[in-house]
Amino acid sequence: MKTDSCLRYLEDPDANAGHLAECEECRALFGDTELPTKPIDVPQLPLATWEGASHRSWPLVLAGFVVALAAAAVLCLIAGMTPLRVVESSFRSVQSMRAFVFTSAAALRAASMGAQIAFFGAFIVVNAVLFALLRRSPRGIDA
Amino acid sequence: MRRMLRLFVPLTIVGATLVTGMIAAPSEPFSGTMEIRSITLQQAASMVQQTAVVVSLIAVWILAAIALTLMSGREVRASSTEVRASALHCFTLGLVAVTSFVLTAIVFSYLVPFLIGIPLLFALAVFAVITKIYGMIAVFHAVGTLVAGARTRNQLDSRKWLRGDLAMSVLGVLILGALRLIPVAGPIVWGLASVFGIGSALATKFGRREPWFLRVAQAF
Repeated sequence: MKTDSCLRYLEDPDANAGHLAECEECRALFGDTELPTKPIDVPQLPLATWEGASHRSWPLVLAGFVVALAAAAVLCLIAGMTPLRVVESSFRSVQSMRAFVFTSAAALRAASMGAQIAFFGAFIVVNAVLFALLRRSPRGIDA
Repeated sequence: MRRMLRLFVPLTIVGATLVTGMIAAPSEPFSGTMEIRSITLQQAASMVQQTAVVVSLIAVWILAAIALTLMSGREVRASSTEVRASALHCFTLGLVAVTSFVLTAIVFSYLVPFLIGIPLLFALAVFAVITKIYGMIAVFHAVGTLVAGARTRNQLDSRKWLRGDLAMSVLGVLILGALRLIPVAGPIVWGLASVFGIGSALATKFGRREPWFLRVAQAF
């Protein structure tokens, strides 16, 4: 910034746009860079995940649900099952998991001190690995 | 790869139907008298009951998918993208998380006599169930998008029904539900989907894409 003209350009670039043609230093700093640019063909760009995502196709959704519900009703009718029995059967895996956890805890209480220490060591190691994995940022959009 | 997958899934469904038919069919051709040697009537009834339970659960999953996708479609989409973008990480995280849930549940059960274990166990169960449900719905969305998602804008514009998060989620439930009906492979596929789902739910913090833990430098 050598001259008053340069300062006036800095204060108001639009009013003193002609200054760039005169001053080589200012042109180098603030002039057009004239980088080579390519025209973008928008339809050729990859489809973003959010494009069309908000569309709600209710006929497809309702058809899928009705088909599944009708199939379930027919099968329940054939098998002679009541809805309550279906609910009970679906909770069977939860009950077996609960039984496994309580049995394991009882076995752990009855186990030797060494076995208990080994178990708690494994518990800490697994949770440390989980902690380490959770620290990684999700890739998702950037992938 | 995607084209192969699009072919693979319908072929798997057809194969599964054939395998189911072969298992359910009598070992000898029908010759006037009803003689079933390989399968008893009780086993057949049990098989129908199991199928009824599975199909009923699929209907419930569709309802859950509709509700969650309507409530937080963006989050489900983010987790679904994560499953597709870094599947191995999601799978590893899911496996470690499931192991951690089980070990933590045993430790909390160990603490039940000291009373503190009961609320901790309850909180863990609630968290695990929420993670599983959310993760499964993210996997449904990912499967639906992989199989039937639009690849180009022209394809997207030309579609009337097969577009949007809701359709992809429901389609995913139907595809995975059909696979779930395969006698031996179905539960394995469903279990793997659960692991992927739990992993993606935790990797994206339920689609919010925020870090779970603040770094020490950020905290102060």
